[in-house]
Amino acid sequence: MRRRVRDAACVFRIHLARLRAEAGPFLLAALVFPVAMFWFASRVSGVRAGDPKSLGFLAGAVVFSISLTAISWLGYLLLENRFTGRLKLFATLPLAPSSYVFGILIFAVAQAAAGTATLLVVARAVGVRARLDAAGASLLGATVTLTMLCLCGVSVVIAARARSFAEGTLYTDALGAGLVILAPVFYPADALPRAVGAAAAWLPTSCAARAAETTLAGGHAVAPQLLALALMSAAALALGFRLMRWRED
Amino acid sequence: MTTAAITEETKAGDANGATAREGRGDLLDQVSASPRPRVSASSSPSPSSPPRAEEIAVRVVGLVKRYADGTEANRGIDLEVGRGEIVSILGANGAGKTTFLRQLTTELRPTAGRVEVFGVDADREPRRAKGMMGVAPQEAGLFESLTVREHFELFARLKGLAKREARAAAAEVMCGLDLVREARRRVGALSGGQRRRILVGLALLGRPPLLVLDEPTTGLDPDSRRAVWQVIRRAVAAGATAILSTHYMEEAERLSDRVAVIAGGRLAAIGTLEELFARLDKTYRVTWRDEFGAERSNLFGTFAEARAFVARESLSEFSIARVSLEDVYFALAGRRLTDAGGAAGGTNVTGAAGAAGETRKEGAR
Repeated sequence: MRRRVRDAACVFRIHLARLRAEAGPFLLAALVFPVAMFWFASRVSGVRAGDPKSLGFLAGAVVFSISLTAISWLGYLLLENRFTGRLKLFATLPLAPSSYVFGILIFAVAQAAAGTATLLVVARAVGVRARLDAAGASLLGATVTLTMLCLCGVSVVIAARARSFAEGTLYTDALGAGLVILAPVFYPADALPRAVGAAAAWLPTSCAARAAETTLAGGHAVAPQLLALALMSAAALALGFRLMRWRED
Repeated sequence: MTTAAITEETKAGDANGATAREGRGDLLDQVSASPRPRVSASSSPSPSSPPRAEEIAVRVVGLVKRYADGTEANRGIDLEVGRGEIVSILGANGAGKTTFLRQLTTELRPTAGRVEVFGVDADREPRRAKGMMGVAPQEAGLFESLTVREHFELFARLKGLAKREARAAAAEVMCGLDLVREARRRVGALSGGQRRRILVGLALLGRPPLLVLDEPTTGLDPDSRRAVWQVIRRAVAAGATAILSTHYMEEAERLSDRVAVIAGGRLAAIGTLEELFARLDKTYRVTWRDEFGAERSNLFGTFAEARAFVARESLSEFSIARVSLEDVYFALAGRRLTDAGGAAGGTNVTGAAGAAGETRKEGAR
């Protein structure tokens, strides 16, 4: 167990070191695009900083940040590891596949935490104040973590199943933005056609946005969303583990 | 102007210092200096004496790899490698060398057969088997933004070394592979040859008892190649066993205790250099260019036969040399080293020309 934790920490450090040279894409995914989306949504809807609706847009920006970071950016890294042969460096070591995946997940959660915290600071700077107490902050942390884990599971599945790098990046790019666009994050749920709205309500991004908005507004009643996110995370990660090919057949 | 060259192949020992393996070139000289026994080449592996059971590092039994589309990459390979041995694997592109090594390193599941690494079933206990191996894959990407030192230290940690040991192992490997000056440079800024050396270095970290190196010196300049040979020899002198694939005959000759030839997914031959040379019924090669500029060569049993051929054909530009491992390889594998498809150049050993020799056309250059 101790060895696995140490191995996962090494995998985390290897990927963290990448950020030194590749911080640009991470900042774009975690900060620049979500802030731009927040600003765009606020301007289009005429919502001012003090308006409670602005917290909804902030929740949307947090979810957008997680989605882009987990699927577009991290999915890209996983695809790169697989298709440039980097995965071989790990696969030829006496390393448990779970250590590799957990190392990646720690990296992902660290990115999500950094991205969310920065977004809250930026929001505060422009006058959007979240009403977070200690319990609310914990619930927001749980929401962010579970959302990240769930979307990372989706990334692992894509990275494992893609037949080529190009195909994989197409899926990660489409899903990274698509999961946020399909979820009623920046627009009211009733704006969607009924069937689409019913399906969208079950997207992890929808659950995450509802939970994030509630906690940012000072509420704590997010248990159903967290439970749904936990189940979806377990399912996505289990599928990802199952599909990931450590050894080829 | 008429020119002629009669050359004896000389295999100078490695100039970089003495190790247990340094006599390899000398051994070849001895083999070359005396007429080789003439035993007809056959299609079965040579009866090289296998290592004793307690001395076996790797045992491969009936290894088969059949892909879903029906392609058979390996068709039943049997091989035993003794502790402390260096075995080079020769074969054309697509012959099955990499597939074999990937099965050995547990990366690829065999369709049938068994691989044992120091008695451990590699298929059933892949992590335990991998724990005894250092692997340099033929194609593996490095992390562009990590420095050379970070690569070695972090991967040494992943091999189970403590922090201090990892640092020492990284320093040792960087020193051996002449990468000390690059220690703080990011891998993205390094040449292809330097990256290749890093891959070999990653395999050597932690002094694993078995090294599996897939074309470890491909793309390296002569100095770097010698540096890699040197670290492999040192590792083996310290007790490791090495299995490597290569396209370089010189590498196989200089490094190996035994050479294995894989052709068409089968082990066509395995043996010491003497044993392999003994399977070729020829001792001398005459090389010349035909009227189209294509290089051609004939193999002969004796020097007199070679000279007689030169006189009979009135060759003006030619060379006579002792047969090389490449000649043996062609005879055993039956085709060029560069392409298993055998399309380019049409180069099979044909045995068509003359009573005493076989003609090989190398293609116009």
